[in-house]
Amino acid sequence: MSTALSRPAGIDLQSFARLASLHPDMVRRFVALGLLEPTRDPSGRIWFTYGDLVAVARLQRLRSAFSLNYAALGLVVDLLDRIAVLEADLRNRPRAARGRSWI
Amino acid sequence: MAPRRDFYEVLGVGRDASPEEIQRAYRKLARTYHPDVNKSPEAEEKFKEVSEAYDVLSDPDMRKRYDAFGPDFRRVPEGVDPQTWARARAGAPGQGPPGDDRVRVDFGDTGIDIDELFESMFGARGRGRWGPIAGANQEVELPLTVEDAYTGAHQRLAVSGPDGSRSIEVTIPPGVVDGQRIRLAGQGGQGTGGAAAGDLFLVVRILPHSRYRVEGRDIYVELPLAPWEAVLGASVAFDTPGGEAKVRVPAGTSSGRRLRLRGRGMPNASGRNGDLYAEARIMAPNHLTKDERRLFEELAATSAYDPRRQR
Repeated sequence: MSTALSRPAGIDLQSFARLASLHPDMVRRFVALGLLEPTRDPSGRIWFTYGDLVAVARLQRLRSAFSLNYAALGLVVDLLDRIAVLEADLRNRPRAARGRSWI
Repeated sequence: MAPRRDFYEVLGVGRDASPEEIQRAYRKLARTYHPDVNKSPEAEEKFKEVSEAYDVLSDPDMRKRYDAFGPDFRRVPEGVDPQTWARARAGAPGQGPPGDDRVRVDFGDTGIDIDELFESMFGARGRGRWGPIAGANQEVELPLTVEDAYTGAHQRLAVSGPDGSRSIEVTIPPGVVDGQRIRLAGQGGQGTGGAAAGDLFLVVRILPHSRYRVEGRDIYVELPLAPWEAVLGASVAFDTPGGEAKVRVPAGTSSGRRLRLRGRGMPNASGRNGDLYAEARIMAPNHLTKDERRLFEELAATSAYDPRRQR
Protein backbone atom coordinates (compact mmCIF):
# COMPACT_ATOMS: atom_id res chain seq x y z
CA MET A 1 0.00 0.00 0.00
CA SER A 2 1.12 3.54 -0.58
CA THR A 3 0.34 4.79 2.89
CA ALA A 4 3.61 6.63 3.26
CA LEU A 5 2.89 8.76 0.22
CA SER A 6 -0.77 9.40 0.90
CA ARG A 7 -0.29 10.36 4.53
CA PRO A 8 -0.98 14.06 5.01
CA ALA A 9 1.66 16.45 6.28
CA GLY A 10 -0.06 16.62 9.67
CA ILE A 11 -3.46 17.27 11.19
CA ASP A 12 -5.43 20.16 9.74
CA LEU A 13 -7.11 22.74 11.94
CA GLN A 14 -10.63 21.26 11.79
CA SER A 15 -9.49 17.72 12.56
CA PHE A 16 -7.17 18.96 15.25
CA ALA A 17 -9.95 20.94 16.93
CA ARG A 18 -12.18 17.87 16.80
CA LEU A 19 -9.49 15.59 18.24
CA ALA A 20 -8.76 18.07 21.02
CA SER A 21 -12.49 18.71 21.61
CA LEU A 22 -11.95 22.43 21.21
CA HIS A 23 -13.55 25.09 19.07
CA PRO A 24 -11.33 25.91 16.07
CA ASP A 25 -11.28 29.55 17.24
CA MET A 26 -9.82 28.40 20.53
CA VAL A 27 -7.11 26.51 18.67
CA ARG A 28 -6.38 29.63 16.60
CA ARG A 29 -6.07 31.58 19.81
CA PHE A 30 -3.56 29.10 21.20
CA VAL A 31 -1.55 29.54 18.00
CA ALA A 32 -1.75 33.33 18.16
CA LEU A 33 -0.47 33.23 21.73
CA GLY A 34 2.44 31.03 20.74
CA LEU A 35 1.21 28.18 22.92
CA LEU A 36 1.10 25.91 19.87
CA GLU A 37 3.49 26.15 16.97
CA PRO A 38 2.02 24.41 13.96
CA THR A 39 3.75 24.37 10.60
CA ARG A 40 2.42 26.50 7.79
CA ASP A 41 2.34 25.23 4.21
CA PRO A 42 2.85 27.50 1.15
CA SER A 43 -0.91 28.02 0.84
CA GLY A 44 -1.02 29.36 4.40
CA ARG A 45 -2.83 26.40 5.92
CA ILE A 46 -1.63 25.31 9.34
CA TRP A 47 -0.82 21.72 10.23
CA PHE A 48 -0.57 20.16 13.65
CA THR A 49 1.11 17.02 14.95
CA TYR A 50 0.04 14.44 17.51
CA GLY A 51 2.59 16.01 19.81
CA ASP A 52 0.48 19.17 19.70
CA LEU A 53 -2.47 17.17 21.05
CA VAL A 54 -0.37 16.22 24.06
CA ALA A 55 0.61 19.86 24.45
CA VAL A 56 -3.04 21.01 24.32
CA ALA A 57 -4.02 18.51 26.98
CA ARG A 58 -1.28 19.85 29.22
CA LEU A 59 -2.41 23.44 28.65
CA GLN A 60 -5.96 22.48 29.57
CA ARG A 61 -4.92 20.64 32.72
CA LEU A 62 -2.67 23.44 33.91
CA ARG A 63 -5.23 26.12 33.16
CA SER A 64 -8.06 24.40 34.96
CA ALA A 65 -5.99 23.54 38.02
CA PHE A 66 -4.28 26.87 38.60
CA SER A 67 -6.66 29.31 36.93
CA LEU A 68 -3.77 30.69 34.90
CA ASN A 69 -4.30 33.16 32.12
CA TYR A 70 -2.91 32.31 28.71
CA ALA A 71 0.18 34.49 28.97
CA ALA A 72 1.12 32.88 32.29
CA LEU A 73 0.38 29.48 30.80
CA GLY A 74 3.02 30.10 28.13
CA LEU A 75 5.58 30.98 30.75
CA VAL A 76 4.72 27.96 32.90
CA VAL A 77 5.03 25.43 30.08
CA ASP A 78 8.30 27.01 28.92
CA LEU A 79 9.72 26.78 32.42
CA LEU A 80 8.50 23.20 32.91
CA ASP A 81 10.14 22.22 29.61
CA ARG A 82 13.39 23.88 30.58
CA ILE A 83 13.41 22.17 33.94
CA ALA A 84 12.79 18.82 32.25
CA VAL A 85 15.80 19.39 29.99
CA LEU A 86 18.01 20.42 32.92
CA GLU A 87 16.93 17.43 34.97
CA ALA A 88 17.64 15.09 32.09
CA ASP A 89 21.10 16.65 31.64
CA LEU A 90 21.81 16.22 35.31
CA ARG A 91 20.79 12.58 35.11
CA ASN A 92 22.79 11.84 32.01
CA ARG A 93 25.99 13.43 33.22
CA PRO A 94 28.46 10.60 33.82
CA ARG A 95 28.45 9.57 37.42
CA ALA A 96 32.26 9.69 37.57
CA ALA A 97 32.27 13.41 37.00
CA ARG A 98 29.86 13.94 39.87
CA GLY A 99 31.16 11.39 42.34
CA ARG A 100 34.91 11.57 41.93
CA SER A 101 36.11 14.79 43.34
CA TRP A 102 39.60 15.31 44.60
CA ILE A 103 38.78 18.47 46.45
CA MET B 1 -11.28 0.74 46.34
CA ALA B 2 -9.45 2.08 49.34
CA PRO B 3 -11.65 3.92 51.83
CA ARG B 4 -11.71 7.60 51.09
CA ARG B 5 -9.80 9.80 53.44
CA ASP B 6 -11.41 12.66 55.24
CA PHE B 7 -11.38 15.75 53.01
CA TYR B 8 -10.03 17.99 55.76
CA GLU B 9 -7.25 15.52 56.39
CA VAL B 10 -6.45 15.39 52.67
CA LEU B 11 -5.95 19.14 52.58
CA GLY B 12 -4.24 19.16 55.96
CA VAL B 13 -6.57 21.74 57.50
CA GLY B 14 -8.73 21.73 60.60
CA ARG B 15 -12.52 21.35 60.45
CA ASP B 16 -12.88 25.01 61.37
CA ALA B 17 -10.56 26.22 58.59
CA SER B 18 -11.57 29.43 56.84
CA PRO B 19 -12.24 29.39 53.08
CA GLU B 20 -8.94 31.24 52.61
CA GLU B 21 -7.04 28.59 54.53
CA ILE B 22 -8.67 25.88 52.46
CA GLN B 23 -7.77 27.60 49.26
CA ARG B 24 -4.20 28.19 50.34
CA ALA B 25 -3.79 24.54 51.33
CA TYR B 26 -5.24 23.40 48.02
CA ARG B 27 -3.07 25.69 45.92
CA LYS B 28 0.05 24.51 47.67
CA LEU B 29 -0.79 20.84 47.27
CA ALA B 30 -1.88 21.33 43.66
CA ARG B 31 1.47 22.92 42.83
CA THR B 32 3.24 19.92 44.31
CA TYR B 33 1.15 17.13 42.85
CA HIS B 34 -0.16 18.47 39.56
CA PRO B 35 0.47 15.74 36.96
CA ASP B 36 2.25 18.18 34.68
CA VAL B 37 4.55 19.36 37.43
CA ASN B 38 5.15 16.08 39.22
CA LYS B 39 5.54 13.22 36.80
CA SER B 40 5.40 10.31 39.22
CA PRO B 41 2.30 8.10 38.93
CA GLU B 42 1.55 8.52 42.65
CA ALA B 43 1.23 12.25 42.17
CA GLU B 44 -1.79 11.92 39.90
CA GLU B 45 -3.80 9.97 42.46
CA LYS B 46 -2.80 12.40 45.14
CA PHE B 47 -3.78 15.33 42.93
CA LYS B 48 -7.20 13.81 42.25
CA GLU B 49 -7.78 13.29 45.94
CA VAL B 50 -6.76 16.87 46.70
CA SER B 51 -8.94 18.26 43.91
CA GLU B 52 -11.95 16.27 45.02
CA ALA B 53 -11.54 17.47 48.59
CA TYR B 54 -11.17 21.05 47.43
CA ASP B 55 -14.18 20.83 45.13
CA VAL B 56 -16.35 19.91 48.07
CA LEU B 57 -14.84 22.07 50.78
CA SER B 58 -14.56 25.21 48.64
CA ASP B 59 -18.31 25.22 48.00
CA PRO B 60 -20.06 26.52 51.12
CA ASP B 61 -23.21 24.47 50.48
CA MET B 62 -21.40 21.27 49.81
CA ARG B 63 -19.06 21.82 52.72
CA LYS B 64 -22.07 22.19 55.00
CA ARG B 65 -23.52 18.98 53.68
CA TYR B 66 -20.19 17.21 54.03
CA ASP B 67 -19.89 18.40 57.63
CA ALA B 68 -23.43 17.26 58.38
CA PHE B 69 -23.53 13.93 56.60
CA GLY B 70 -19.89 12.85 56.29
CA PRO B 71 -18.28 11.09 53.36
CA ASP B 72 -21.59 9.69 52.13
CA PHE B 73 -23.18 13.11 51.81
CA ARG B 74 -23.84 12.64 48.13
CA ARG B 75 -26.21 9.79 48.90
CA VAL B 76 -28.33 11.95 51.11
CA PRO B 77 -31.19 13.38 49.06
CA GLU B 78 -31.56 17.13 48.78
CA GLY B 79 -33.54 18.78 51.54
CA VAL B 80 -32.92 16.19 54.22
CA ASP B 81 -32.56 17.86 57.56
CA PRO B 82 -29.22 17.13 59.20
CA GLN B 83 -31.03 16.76 62.53
CA THR B 84 -33.20 13.99 61.15
CA TRP B 85 -30.16 12.37 59.65
CA ALA B 86 -28.29 12.58 62.93
CA ARG B 87 -31.28 11.12 64.81
CA ALA B 88 -31.46 8.28 62.33
CA ARG B 89 -27.79 7.61 62.88
CA ALA B 90 -28.10 7.82 66.62
CA GLY B 91 -31.01 5.40 66.45
CA ALA B 92 -28.90 2.80 64.74
CA PRO B 93 -27.48 0.50 67.39
CA GLY B 94 -23.70 0.48 67.68
CA GLN B 95 -23.37 3.77 65.82
CA GLY B 96 -22.71 2.28 62.42
CA PRO B 97 -20.60 4.22 60.01
CA PRO B 98 -22.35 6.89 57.95
CA GLY B 99 -22.41 4.54 55.00
CA ASP B 100 -24.25 1.89 57.02
CA ASP B 101 -26.91 0.08 54.99
CA ARG B 102 -29.51 0.57 57.70
CA VAL B 103 -29.33 4.33 57.35
CA ARG B 104 -29.60 4.20 53.64
CA VAL B 105 -32.76 2.11 53.92
CA ASP B 106 -34.33 4.72 56.18
CA PHE B 107 -34.19 7.24 53.41
CA GLY B 108 -34.90 4.86 50.63
CA ASP B 109 -32.50 4.08 47.86
CA THR B 110 -32.36 7.15 45.67
CA GLY B 111 -30.90 5.15 42.80
CA ILE B 112 -28.42 7.88 42.04
CA ASP B 113 -25.37 6.84 40.12
CA ILE B 114 -22.55 8.32 42.13
CA ASP B 115 -20.20 8.54 39.17
CA GLU B 116 -22.77 10.35 37.12
CA LEU B 117 -23.39 12.72 39.98
CA PHE B 118 -19.68 13.35 40.23
CA GLU B 119 -19.33 14.13 36.56
CA SER B 120 -22.21 16.53 36.56
CA MET B 121 -20.85 18.18 39.65
CA PHE B 122 -17.39 18.65 38.23
CA GLY B 123 -19.00 19.70 35.00
CA ALA B 124 -20.83 22.46 36.74
CA ARG B 125 -17.70 23.74 38.38
CA GLY B 126 -15.47 24.98 35.61
CA ARG B 127 -13.63 21.75 35.06
CA GLY B 128 -16.15 20.74 32.47
CA ARG B 129 -15.73 23.76 30.28
CA TRP B 130 -13.20 21.65 28.49
CA GLY B 131 -14.16 18.58 26.58
CA PRO B 132 -12.26 15.34 27.03
CA ILE B 133 -8.61 15.92 27.96
CA ALA B 134 -5.91 13.36 27.25
CA GLY B 135 -3.96 12.08 30.24
CA ALA B 136 -0.54 13.38 31.26
CA ASN B 137 2.68 11.56 30.53
CA GLN B 138 4.29 10.09 33.60
CA GLU B 139 7.79 9.05 34.51
CA VAL B 140 9.12 6.35 36.76
CA GLU B 141 12.73 5.58 37.53
CA LEU B 142 13.87 2.12 36.61
CA PRO B 143 16.97 1.11 38.56
CA LEU B 144 19.01 -1.56 36.79
CA THR B 145 22.21 -3.36 37.60
CA VAL B 146 24.98 -3.12 35.04
CA GLU B 147 24.48 -6.82 34.26
CA ASP B 148 20.73 -6.41 33.64
CA ALA B 149 21.33 -3.39 31.46
CA TYR B 150 23.84 -5.41 29.45
CA THR B 151 21.82 -8.58 28.95
CA GLY B 152 18.31 -7.11 29.06
CA ALA B 153 15.75 -8.27 31.60
CA HIS B 154 12.13 -8.85 32.45
CA GLN B 155 10.89 -6.90 35.42
CA ARG B 156 7.69 -6.41 37.31
CA LEU B 157 7.03 -2.85 38.31
CA ALA B 158 4.46 -1.66 40.80
CA VAL B 159 2.87 1.54 39.52
CA SER B 160 0.14 3.33 41.38
CA GLY B 161 -3.00 3.89 39.39
CA PRO B 162 -6.66 4.76 39.92
CA ASP B 163 -7.40 1.42 41.61
CA GLY B 164 -4.39 1.38 43.84
CA SER B 165 -1.12 -0.20 42.84
CA ARG B 166 -0.98 -2.24 39.68
CA SER B 167 1.89 -4.28 38.46
CA ILE B 168 3.19 -4.11 34.94
CA GLU B 169 5.64 -6.40 33.29
CA VAL B 170 8.33 -4.75 31.23
CA THR B 171 10.87 -6.22 28.90
CA ILE B 172 14.10 -4.30 28.96
CA PRO B 173 16.08 -4.72 25.76
CA PRO B 174 19.78 -5.55 26.04
CA GLY B 175 22.09 -2.55 26.09
CA VAL B 176 20.09 0.24 27.70
CA VAL B 177 22.05 3.24 28.96
CA ASP B 178 21.67 5.53 31.93
CA GLY B 179 18.96 8.12 31.35
CA GLN B 180 17.39 6.22 28.47
CA ARG B 181 13.61 6.41 28.34
CA ILE B 182 11.47 3.37 27.66
CA ARG B 183 7.97 4.32 26.54
CA LEU B 184 4.92 2.36 27.60
CA ALA B 185 2.16 3.79 25.45
CA GLY B 186 -1.15 4.42 27.20
CA GLN B 187 0.15 3.45 30.66
CA GLY B 188 0.41 7.01 31.96
CA GLY B 189 -2.13 9.37 33.50
CA GLN B 190 -5.79 8.83 32.79
CA GLY B 191 -7.62 11.04 30.36
CA THR B 192 -10.88 12.67 31.36
CA GLY B 193 -14.16 12.34 29.50
CA GLY B 194 -13.06 9.23 27.67
CA ALA B 195 -9.89 10.77 26.21
CA ALA B 196 -6.78 8.67 25.77
CA ALA B 197 -4.41 8.01 28.66
CA GLY B 198 -0.90 9.45 28.58
CA ASP B 199 2.27 7.43 28.26
CA LEU B 200 4.42 6.07 31.02
CA PHE B 201 8.15 6.56 30.57
CA LEU B 202 10.62 4.39 32.41
CA VAL B 203 13.82 6.31 32.93
CA VAL B 204 16.72 3.90 33.19
CA ARG B 205 19.04 4.46 36.11
CA ILE B 206 22.15 2.27 36.13
CA LEU B 207 23.01 1.37 39.71
CA PRO B 208 26.57 1.91 40.93
CA HIS B 209 28.61 -1.27 40.69
CA SER B 210 31.59 -2.34 42.73
CA ARG B 211 33.64 -3.25 39.64
CA TYR B 212 32.08 -1.67 36.59
CA ARG B 213 31.73 1.97 35.74
CA VAL B 214 29.48 2.81 32.82
CA GLU B 215 29.83 5.96 30.77
CA GLY B 216 27.41 6.06 27.89
CA ARG B 217 27.93 2.68 26.27
CA ASP B 218 31.52 2.29 27.39
CA ILE B 219 32.26 0.12 30.39
CA TYR B 220 35.35 0.61 32.54
CA VAL B 221 36.68 -2.13 34.73
CA GLU B 222 39.79 -2.27 36.86
CA LEU B 223 42.29 -4.92 35.90
CA PRO B 224 44.51 -5.90 38.84
CA LEU B 225 47.94 -7.07 37.69
CA ALA B 226 50.92 -8.63 39.42
CA PRO B 227 54.11 -6.59 39.01
CA TRP B 228 55.72 -9.25 36.81
CA GLU B 229 52.59 -9.47 34.61
CA ALA B 230 52.79 -5.73 34.07
CA VAL B 231 56.52 -5.81 33.37
CA LEU B 232 56.74 -8.89 31.21
CA GLY B 233 53.32 -8.74 29.60
CA ALA B 234 50.67 -11.44 29.96
CA SER B 235 47.39 -12.72 28.70
CA VAL B 236 44.86 -12.20 31.47
CA ALA B 237 41.30 -13.45 31.88
CA PHE B 238 38.78 -11.31 33.77
CA ASP B 239 35.02 -10.97 34.23
CA THR B 240 32.95 -8.57 32.15
CA PRO B 241 29.15 -8.08 32.10
CA GLY B 242 29.12 -10.17 28.93
CA GLY B 243 31.07 -13.05 30.48
CA GLU B 244 34.77 -13.79 30.80
CA ALA B 245 37.11 -11.92 28.48
CA LYS B 246 40.78 -12.27 27.77
CA VAL B 247 43.07 -9.36 27.26
CA ARG B 248 46.70 -9.26 26.24
CA VAL B 249 48.61 -6.99 28.59
CA PRO B 250 51.61 -5.58 26.71
CA ALA B 251 55.01 -5.70 28.39
CA GLY B 252 55.77 -2.55 30.35
CA THR B 253 52.23 -1.67 31.33
CA SER B 254 51.88 0.86 34.16
CA SER B 255 48.87 1.49 36.41
CA GLY B 256 46.17 3.54 34.72
CA ARG B 257 46.87 2.27 31.23
CA ARG B 258 43.65 1.50 29.44
CA LEU B 259 43.36 -1.60 27.35
CA ARG B 260 40.46 -1.39 24.97
CA LEU B 261 38.28 -4.33 24.06
CA ARG B 262 36.42 -3.09 21.05
CA GLY B 263 32.70 -3.74 21.03
CA ARG B 264 32.68 -5.45 24.43
CA GLY B 265 30.84 -2.56 26.13
CA MET B 266 27.06 -2.11 26.16
CA PRO B 267 25.42 -3.71 23.15
CA ASN B 268 23.68 -1.35 20.75
CA ALA B 269 20.79 -2.63 18.67
CA SER B 270 20.95 0.35 16.34
CA GLY B 271 24.63 1.01 15.85
CA ARG B 272 28.08 0.29 17.18
CA ASN B 273 28.45 -1.47 20.51
CA GLY B 274 30.26 0.37 23.26
CA ASP B 275 33.82 -0.52 24.17
CA LEU B 276 35.15 -2.11 27.29
CA TYR B 277 38.20 -0.55 28.90
CA ALA B 278 40.31 -2.56 31.30
CA GLU B 279 42.31 -0.15 33.46
CA ALA B 280 45.57 -1.67 34.59
CA ARG B 281 46.22 -1.51 38.30
CA ILE B 282 49.42 -3.01 39.59
CA MET B 283 49.04 -4.70 42.95
CA ALA B 284 51.86 -5.59 45.30
CA PRO B 285 51.75 -8.81 47.31
CA ASN B 286 51.32 -8.29 51.05
CA HIS B 287 53.38 -11.22 52.21
CA LEU B 288 56.42 -12.58 50.46
CA THR B 289 58.00 -15.96 50.82
CA LYS B 290 61.71 -16.06 51.49
CA ASP B 291 62.41 -16.88 47.86
CA GLU B 292 60.23 -14.09 46.56
CA ARG B 293 61.84 -11.58 48.84
CA ARG B 294 65.30 -12.68 47.75
CA LEU B 295 64.35 -12.29 44.08
CA PHE B 296 62.89 -8.83 44.61
CA GLU B 297 65.97 -7.75 46.54
CA GLU B 298 68.11 -9.02 43.75
CA LEU B 299 65.99 -7.09 41.26
CA ALA B 300 66.21 -3.92 43.36
CA ALA B 301 69.97 -4.18 43.46
CA THR B 302 70.27 -4.81 39.73
CA SER B 303 67.68 -2.45 38.28
CA ALA B 304 68.47 1.16 37.40
CA TYR B 305 64.82 1.96 36.86
CA ASP B 306 63.52 5.01 38.77
CA PRO B 307 59.83 5.69 38.19
CA ARG B 308 60.14 9.22 39.67
CA ARG B 309 62.75 10.30 37.19
CA GLN B 310 60.67 9.29 34.17
CA ARG B 311 58.80 11.46 31.67
